[in-house]
Amino acid sequence: MNKFVLFAVLFLALLPACQKKGADAAQFTVQDFQNAKWKDVETKAQGTTVSFAMWGGDEARNRFMNTEAAVRLKDKYGITLNILPLGDTAEAVNKLLNEKQANKTGGGSIDMIWINGENFRTAKQANLLWASFAERLPNIRYYEADANKRDFGTLIDGLEAPWQKAQFVLAYDSARFYSPPRNIPALGDWIRNNPGRFTYIAPPDFTGSAFLRHILFHFGGGAKNFQEFDEQLYAEASAKTFAFLNEIKPFLWRKGETYPQSPKELDKLFANAEVDFAYNYGANFASERIKRGEYPPTVRTFVFDAGTISNYNYLTIPFNAANPAGALVVINYLMSPEYQIAQSRALGSVYPHKLDALTAEEKQLVSGLERGAATLSAEELAAHAVPEADSEYLERLEKDWREKVLLP
Amino acid sequence: MFGKTKFSNRETFVLIVLSVAAFVPMLWLALQSAARNWRFPLLFPAEFSGRAWEYLLDSSSGILPALFNSLIIALTVTFISIALAIPAARAVALHDFRGKNFLFFLMLMPILSPSVATAIGGHAFFLRYGLTDSWFGVMLIHLIPTLPYCLLTLASSFARFEVDLETQARTLGASTWQVWRYITLPSLAPAIAVSAVFAFLISWSQYLTTLLIGGGKIMTLPLVLISFQRGTDEAVTAALTLVFLVPAVLFLLISARFWKATK
Repeated sequence: MNKFVLFAVLFLALLPACQKKGADAAQFTVQDFQNAKWKDVETKAQGTTVSFAMWGGDEARNRFMNTEAAVRLKDKYGITLNILPLGDTAEAVNKLLNEKQANKTGGGSIDMIWINGENFRTAKQANLLWASFAERLPNIRYYEADANKRDFGTLIDGLEAPWQKAQFVLAYDSARFYSPPRNIPALGDWIRNNPGRFTYIAPPDFTGSAFLRHILFHFGGGAKNFQEFDEQLYAEASAKTFAFLNEIKPFLWRKGETYPQSPKELDKLFANAEVDFAYNYGANFASERIKRGEYPPTVRTFVFDAGTISNYNYLTIPFNAANPAGALVVINYLMSPEYQIAQSRALGSVYPHKLDALTAEEKQLVSGLERGAATLSAEELAAHAVPEADSEYLERLEKDWREKVLLP
Repeated sequence: MFGKTKFSNRETFVLIVLSVAAFVPMLWLALQSAARNWRFPLLFPAEFSGRAWEYLLDSSSGILPALFNSLIIALTVTFISIALAIPAARAVALHDFRGKNFLFFLMLMPILSPSVATAIGGHAFFLRYGLTDSWFGVMLIHLIPTLPYCLLTLASSFARFEVDLETQARTLGASTWQVWRYITLPSLAPAIAVSAVFAFLISWSQYLTTLLIGGGKIMTLPLVLISFQRGTDEAVTAALTLVFLVPAVLFLLISARFWKATK
């Protein structure tokens, strides 16, 4: 027994000795960044390794990042890109929250994160982000100014840099019917006339709650009114939204007794022709599924006449990144036309830059990008893009939906 | 494996039902991993494609290294768990000392409390001691849930253990090693095999702990698998699930050979 105590004490006493030494001398502080020219940042990043935590559920994207993107970064800057695949970005945010509490201020294992919306808001509020850097990146000039203002209503303040554009689109099978309903009342009529053929993803799923916001926008006079939270507007529009949802409930798939929990489940129902609509963020999602052999080749996408939500997703640097200089250079590169053209070519993603910032040659490359058969044209998408709502709307809608639609 | 006893009809029936129940999902996974355009009402996929399997074998996907990491971690954790649990179980089962029950309860705490709490609390603790983002840290946090299971299994085996046999052997001049090799080990073998299965399977399927403590630097199969499960790519998810299952089943089969006590 005494021996046991002795060993336990020895073990605990030795633990702190395992503590890693602080980050190496070659640190790059926020002040260094503020005083440095961009060239200096690139020199500093030369030959380093950058760990990029990103949602890893897309085989094509993982493959592209690990091969083409990694090779380009190696060739151009000598940087080694190390992808840390995440099931959910919130996991990285939780890890940082813990590290913040434990006061681990340097040498973190994540140098940059692919982020947006609620995760960004949490990270910003808890001071988990490195510094305001976005405005100083040379390639920020390719993006529309509003890409850099608010992310789901949260002020960006340069803490994250825009990367890609995603627009909400709906999919239907042109072999099943010719013309889909293009506004909320028409969709309501369609659902009543085709009982059991429509369902939506239950919030708080990210995509599920995006669908609800389109209904909220419809009853609240359009997306433009929802940029900042307004209690009264929410009360009125949400009451109508929930009335609408309750009214269509008996006509939904399985009479609205159950809902798909994720885009994956809705995809499955749609692919098996149990329901007639699917939807997702990412204008090319249906083309991607057709290519993978999950959707029939006759599937097409459409947007509502009043527009569908278009948002950006972003890249950010955690407060304790071990290699912020490297992360800055990688982020700036991922924002370049060179990278974006390569990505659109490989993944069919929608090109995110404003076209007048591009050179004639780049413009030509962009216009020559092939899009999948089910992907709408860039012009049609842009003409029907509306901004995200303040994330307060999002959270309230998700919470109230449970009480007012799911449970009663 | 089960000696010469014959199965009764009812046993045979139950065995067949169980085998089918275990086999059908595997078959479904195999089909799904190679299917294209497999939609209702098709009973079998209309087309096949090797896309998912190609991706798994592709060096850029990092799946083979993840598989390797998972194996190393799970095997090491299994070994350490058993090495630590044997003396602990012996002490708990064969000796009486003050605070024994309380100590035993403490040892079992990790499996009594929710695993998310252990993971997140463990992360905060490990951070303080600089144990995060390392192999050592990942193995250490896996030991938290594996040890109690090994301890329980081994303690119940030690409770039926005849210490006198050891004494007799020693009286007959056996060395400590010989006693262990020819007396203790054979009678413990089934319990060791069972606890090895527990330890291996628990470590093999750790997700949250590996993610938090490994910081994404230590890439294991569950990390890759879960990130695909949350995505929409059915084929890759199915292929990964199969890859995930195979070592677990193999380990189970190997250890099953030791479940029967050697006389």
